[in-house]
Amino acid sequence: MSAVTEERALRRGSVRSLYAGNATAVVVRGLQATRSSNWVVVISGFVEPIFYLLSLGVGLGGFIGTVTDAAGNHIPYAAYIAPALLAVSAMNGAIYDSTWNVFFKMNFGKLYEGMLATSLGPLDVALGEILLALLRGAVYGVGFQIVMQVMGLNLAWTALLAVPAVMLIAFAFAAVGMGITSYFRSFQQMEWIPFVLLPMFLFSATFFPITVYPEPIQWLVQALPLWHAVELVRGLTTGILSPLMLVHVVYFLVLVVGGLSFTTRRLRALFLD
Amino acid sequence: MTTLEPLELAEEARRAAARVRRFGAWYAAEHQIRVWRRYLGVNIASAIGTPVLYLFAFGVGLGVLVTANAGPAGVDGVSYLVFVAPALIVTAAVTIASGEFTYPVMQGFKWNPTYIGMNAAPLSARQIIDGVVLFVGLRMLTASVVYFAIMAAFGASPSPAAALTVLIATLGGLAFGTPLLAYSATLREDRGQFAVVQRVIVLPLTLFSGTIFPLAQLPWFLQWIGWLSPLWHASELGRVVSYGAERPGWLVAVHVGYLVLLAVAGWLLAVRIATRRLDA
Repeated sequence: MSAVTEERALRRGSVRSLYAGNATAVVVRGLQATRSSNWVVVISGFVEPIFYLLSLGVGLGGFIGTVTDAAGNHIPYAAYIAPALLAVSAMNGAIYDSTWNVFFKMNFGKLYEGMLATSLGPLDVALGEILLALLRGAVYGVGFQIVMQVMGLNLAWTALLAVPAVMLIAFAFAAVGMGITSYFRSFQQMEWIPFVLLPMFLFSATFFPITVYPEPIQWLVQALPLWHAVELVRGLTTGILSPLMLVHVVYFLVLVVGGLSFTTRRLRALFLD
Repeated sequence: MTTLEPLELAEEARRAAARVRRFGAWYAAEHQIRVWRRYLGVNIASAIGTPVLYLFAFGVGLGVLVTANAGPAGVDGVSYLVFVAPALIVTAAVTIASGEFTYPVMQGFKWNPTYIGMNAAPLSARQIIDGVVLFVGLRMLTASVVYFAIMAAFGASPSPAAALTVLIATLGGLAFGTPLLAYSATLREDRGQFAVVQRVIVLPLTLFSGTIFPLAQLPWFLQWIGWLSPLWHASELGRVVSYGAERPGWLVAVHVGYLVLLAVAGWLLAVRIATRRLDA
């Protein structure tokens, strides 16, 4: 009896009890599982943002012409909207992978219970799942960048940095999303996720500058992660850089660290304590 | 408690069976409505929240950009908000249709096979499919009424005839949805077909259908997608009733005819497929 209590106390104490340094095992398992699933689904995820870009950039763009940003630069509408779509697809991909996928594995597949029964710790599982989501996000991100390049929507060489930026953004959304998913118990509750994402998608300077709003609403938008994501990616693809972009990077670094520790703690509480 | 004589029992059973034969579709719809109550919270939130958000984002926010470019004459002779509102209400109905006619149908046949259960009771496949369509139709109608009320509050529906957009949206949703229902009824295994259909068929039909900008803005080689899309036909009808958009009479007839044809054909096909599947 006392030995068990002692072991629990040890687990709480050190990072080593949470992390066996083997997140790759989770990643490899995920890749093997993907191989047996439908590839068409994976590929169709890639065409989605391209449809948006064609419709909104070309169709709506012919209608709107150029957008004047906060600093007074005139940007063609398609070039204005493309980085926003890239940021949104990073968010959606990360959220989808870290919510629905995780929800299934947690509640139906009982996958994590199995994993945690081995030498893997909760941080291995969290990191592994998130890395897997990032891998897919990277493939989509690079593909979208190529399309942007072909359509002439990358206005500066700094657009190359958009891919790592997108990875950082996806990492943050996935880390937080997985922790939140651990609280969901039913499909019905999951319906709240798109409901929360929708206003962010519509108002984070994705389709029009936030200067159309009164100032208090602008502040509210500026607190949301997607706004930081859009601004960061847009700055890189248009080459209109500002020191403020470091703030965006720090914002996401904080989310990554906070989200990871939150998720790890949740997994420990659910499966180990 | 009174005990029934065997003869009375038989009579009672016959009466119940007759009721089911007559109102079976409504019983099937009632079942769906009762299940729906579980989702009511999030449904109400999105029925009210979504129109407000979309009207603000597209009508007002994007409207600023469009007006800055197109001038005060706006689009199609009206402000951008008025132009876009009928399309948004149809889009909302189509979104409901593409949700309700996919995964829940798979669920009814397979995961939680209520259709099989209903069919084992005296409901026919036709009544089950009719019930599903009735329920989704009602859901789209209710959501459209809410949407329209919010549209009117935004000043986005200038004429009284605009109220007809509620019916047009529901018809558009059915035209979009019943063919999808027929397809869903054929599926026996979930290999991500719905995700693919969503991305490769539903999404392009939504994006390239002249909803948030006139179809003529697209290059010619993309415009045919709009012509195929029930969303375009319904949005155009909505514009005619909402602000009196000038469209030739024959085109209005084509819009109505195409929508009714799709809705009915999809519905009949779904009944056929479900009958073959359930009675097999």
